[in-house]
Amino acid sequence: MNLRTLKIISILVTVIGAIVIWQNGIFRQFGDQSGYEPIQPINFSHKIHAGDNKINCTFCHSSADESAVAGVPTATNCMNCHSQVLKDSPEILKIKAALDNNQPIEWVKVNDVPDHVVFNHSRHVTAGVNCNTCHGPVETMARVSQFSTFTMGSCIDCHRRHQGVVLDAGGNPQFAAENTPNRLNAPTDCAACHH
Amino acid sequence: MKGEKLWKEFLDTDESGKPAAPKLPVYGISRRSFLSALGYSAVGLSLLNCRVPEQKIVPNLAKSPEQTPGVANWYASTCSGCSAGCGTLVKVRDGRPIKIEGNPAHPVSKGGLCAVAHSLVFSLYDSERLKQPLIGGQPSDWTEVDRQVGAKLASIKQSRGKVRFLSNTIISPTSKALIDNFLGTYEDARHIVYEPVSTAAISAAHLETHGVGSIPGYKIQNAKLLVSFDADFLGTWISPVRFTKDYSAARDLKNGQRSMLRHIQYEARMSVTGANADTRFTTSSAEQNEALTFLLTALVEKSGQSKSVNYNLLPPSGISPQMTQHLETTADELLNHRGESLVICGSNDPDVQLVVNFINETLGNYGTTIDVNSPSPHTQNSDGTFAGLIEEMKNGEVAALFLLNVNPAYDCYAAKEFTEALKKVPLKVSFDPTLDETALSADFVCPNHHSLEAWDDAETDSGIYSFNQPTIAPLFQTRAYQESLMRWSGDVRSFYDVLRQTWQQTNFTKQTKFSKFDDFWDQSLHDGIFADQTVKEPVTRTFNDKGLNDALLRLNKTEQSDYSLVLYQKTSMRDGRFANSPWLQELPDPITKTSWGNYASISPGAAEKLSLTEGDVVSVKKNNSAIELPVLIQPGQSDDVVAVALGYGRTHAGKAGNGVGANAFPFVEFLNGTFRYQAANIDIAATGKRSELAKTQIEESSHGRPLAQNIALSQYVSGDHPIKQTEFEKLFAEHDYPEHKWGMVVDLSACTGCNSCVLSCQAENNIPVVGKQEVAKMRDMHWLRVDRYIDSNPDGTEVTFQPLPCMQCENASCEMVCPVLATVHSSEGLNMQVYNRCVGTRYCANNCAYKVRHFNWFDYPRDDKLANMALNPDVTVRTRGVMEKCTFCVQRIEEKKIQARNEGRPIKDGEIQTACQQSCPADAIIFGDLKDLNSMVNANKKSGRNYILLEDLNTKPAVSYLAKVRNRKESKEDH
Repeated sequence: MNLRTLKIISILVTVIGAIVIWQNGIFRQFGDQSGYEPIQPINFSHKIHAGDNKINCTFCHSSADESAVAGVPTATNCMNCHSQVLKDSPEILKIKAALDNNQPIEWVKVNDVPDHVVFNHSRHVTAGVNCNTCHGPVETMARVSQFSTFTMGSCIDCHRRHQGVVLDAGGNPQFAAENTPNRLNAPTDCAACHH
Repeated sequence: MKGEKLWKEFLDTDESGKPAAPKLPVYGISRRSFLSALGYSAVGLSLLNCRVPEQKIVPNLAKSPEQTPGVANWYASTCSGCSAGCGTLVKVRDGRPIKIEGNPAHPVSKGGLCAVAHSLVFSLYDSERLKQPLIGGQPSDWTEVDRQVGAKLASIKQSRGKVRFLSNTIISPTSKALIDNFLGTYEDARHIVYEPVSTAAISAAHLETHGVGSIPGYKIQNAKLLVSFDADFLGTWISPVRFTKDYSAARDLKNGQRSMLRHIQYEARMSVTGANADTRFTTSSAEQNEALTFLLTALVEKSGQSKSVNYNLLPPSGISPQMTQHLETTADELLNHRGESLVICGSNDPDVQLVVNFINETLGNYGTTIDVNSPSPHTQNSDGTFAGLIEEMKNGEVAALFLLNVNPAYDCYAAKEFTEALKKVPLKVSFDPTLDETALSADFVCPNHHSLEAWDDAETDSGIYSFNQPTIAPLFQTRAYQESLMRWSGDVRSFYDVLRQTWQQTNFTKQTKFSKFDDFWDQSLHDGIFADQTVKEPVTRTFNDKGLNDALLRLNKTEQSDYSLVLYQKTSMRDGRFANSPWLQELPDPITKTSWGNYASISPGAAEKLSLTEGDVVSVKKNNSAIELPVLIQPGQSDDVVAVALGYGRTHAGKAGNGVGANAFPFVEFLNGTFRYQAANIDIAATGKRSELAKTQIEESSHGRPLAQNIALSQYVSGDHPIKQTEFEKLFAEHDYPEHKWGMVVDLSACTGCNSCVLSCQAENNIPVVGKQEVAKMRDMHWLRVDRYIDSNPDGTEVTFQPLPCMQCENASCEMVCPVLATVHSSEGLNMQVYNRCVGTRYCANNCAYKVRHFNWFDYPRDDKLANMALNPDVTVRTRGVMEKCTFCVQRIEEKKIQARNEGRPIKDGEIQTACQQSCPADAIIFGDLKDLNSMVNANKKSGRNYILLEDLNTKPAVSYLAKVRNRKESKEDH
């Protein structure tokens, strides 16, 4: 094996390796956690609830339109239906046990931003941003995974597209004159999210 | 393949051609290979861990109907910091109380709060609170406590032993009745009220003159002239927040008024109140009492009443000629304001208070500015009964002693005597939430709930009933003291039931608006108050002047002394009850700007005479009491006075409070039935030691520069004053503010310098506490500071306060120098500080003209998980190496902006309140949108008193000041 062959082999290894790593999502922008799909304490399927049975998102995430956080449903919220439906399923029994033992369920947080970032659900929901825009096709996910990158770039891109616009029926921004009702001016000041 | 062999193979042949024995390489690890291996493994390990830490979401099991995650609820309650009973609103976020603000609907405090109130959140999450009851110092449980205490009480009942209940002032009618009920089941039982810093002399004097043994209602708002002798009513006296509200309302010039209350202060030390006075006179300690008798003489003579009064007026002996002149002038002024003047005095000598009553009677102030018919419920203590209790205890007569919110083993005039006497009491039960100096010697410690965990009510003013409602479930195994008493008398109800029942029987019957009790209860609880509207028939009380002659004779025997000790309370530390709050410890005193500890304040004259410099440790001695304290040189103080703050030198307060400063309570004297906070003939001597003071402002004077500007009322009315604004050449491109431009006006005329805003800001913005050493290095972190300037003018010393938040400049010098764009201008006029961009070059702080930027030199302790519960989740906790500063409470701006946008409406003027503005008892801070032409902040910027600090730097700040107006008397003082 001469030096030339060695060089070619090492270049090939580097290039193929980079492609493999990139494809698997190991190498990516700092802070980008998209695709994160942790195992939850209860095997809850958004596909069955939001997809097959078409339950509205805010039925469970009830504070999404009035609070900074969308809210994870309380155990009693689950039992509203599941005291009748599938009440003997081992997953439902876990919820029942939580209620009986007075031990809250510890869900693993999927969509997270760093502590120096403030995000308000209510402003986005009331402005007409669809849940899917950021959270992706949750209704198809048996186990929820992070859809967007939630990097600052992804937030700012969207905010820049929503300067002086109104949303049309499809949720797309359309330029609007000043004083148009519901005209959006998504802030791009640092202090809008960092304080 | 032939060629140069680059390495040796294992199985090379030796010279003879035989396979050589393998020469195994030596596997010693060289330094170089070790380091490279270390590097690779470090990179590998960090790559393996390259993922976010797993975070949990733990929702409640069942949804509480009033709680939405992430949205704060506000509950109306009552402050338990002192007996003034100011109305509070407690911010509860996700089940945790995180901030206390003033309740604007409360008639006593009208939305204001003092520094102590803010610190209550911190004391709730104090991990040094007792977590369960103690029996003989050992942790126990409530069943065992109830069994043992019950048995002992039963035997006391049988042996008809004396039961004594010692508490501070309880302003709750329900709790007071409950204690009386409990004590009523014993043969000889009494409730004794004790306050370490007493104003009992006022009640005693009014008992003598009016037959009403309580503190009367002072109506500052009805007065045109207020003369105060040593009463620090804007700082700590009786009900400071209420007095500040009334005082600033009577002096308000913001809405175009052209007249204001005039305030004259005679005092020996420099107090916050004296600093705010229009005219202030420094009296020597010898002059203090005689100044009042002289004023009385002058008033009686000038008003021509001398023939109709039956007492002997003695000629003054110890007053200086200048002082007599000042007092004559004051007498003339007072006589011009008969019935609309108010004379008050901070002394706790009943004789002195009797003279004050007589002065007010001569001026016809009773019924107009002083109301004896609606006495205030504050400070119901009687110093004499407490002294009697010590005697009883010493004689071994007391069979059971209950201690509630009192700490006489620390703060009593005879603490040692009390502790000794306490040993002779067979049953000592303390309700203290912490193991303080007194609770240490108790047999049973039955920790009471923190006031944020407890139900209670309060009569904060005559006819005004206020609620104390729990805002969190008890954190530890504590029990309300009322419930403890009920258990020991066989009552199994909860105190909540008792409270409801009492309200149904009393307050519900006093109103006609609600027919159902539940509706009435809910509404009162929501408002936080219930005002009894039933009109009471005013009782005419005759003025009894019989005691005056004796009082005057006693007062005439004032002893002369070289140095007198004046004991006072700081606005932050008060009587030391909350000494374990690092927030209060680090809050600088408004006048001395010194935090963490007390000191002996002496005048510059005295310092020269004793050849002392600031920081020299002196020993202060009288009889058997001696303390060592560093000297602080205080202009404006009398040369014969040494002033020392009470409330320091705690030994069992907790981590933050122990050993800070020295305890001055042993110098308190018990004379003629009351505690005295002034000791004549003390020895002061240098010890040769030095101790550094933790000062946050080392420059005293403004050196004649127009920083905190003062004008006279006459100048303001005529418009002939130097306050103006200049338009400068535009050097920089103007910013564009499309929607809002936030701005602030600070009215220096209203600001009393109380420092409540500083703590409100600290609580709101997660500002760390840095400790004494760091403060001494000027590394304090308070985003908002209150500068004070002590300037001499021909009339004496003039102190002006100037709150200084970030100025949010348009041409900001900080923004221009940041190399990483961590501080940038927002489209709403804010200088934003972006923590995650900041690399800590500190250029911005160096370039800031107002010195409002603070640098995190360390990661300040955040390891107490319980204390961290008080953090505001809307504000980032900053780490080491990051610059921070006032943000105009941008989290509050964003919250209200989002709320308004969600509701599809514009933001209302006054809807956004910064933390400092909300709690200000003087309404000195106005915040709003400068783009809104009708806003309050714009209206005030247009008033003739508006000026910009360091205007010639052309920084164009969004914060401007309204010059301080002093209602000086022109004839003598303006030259």
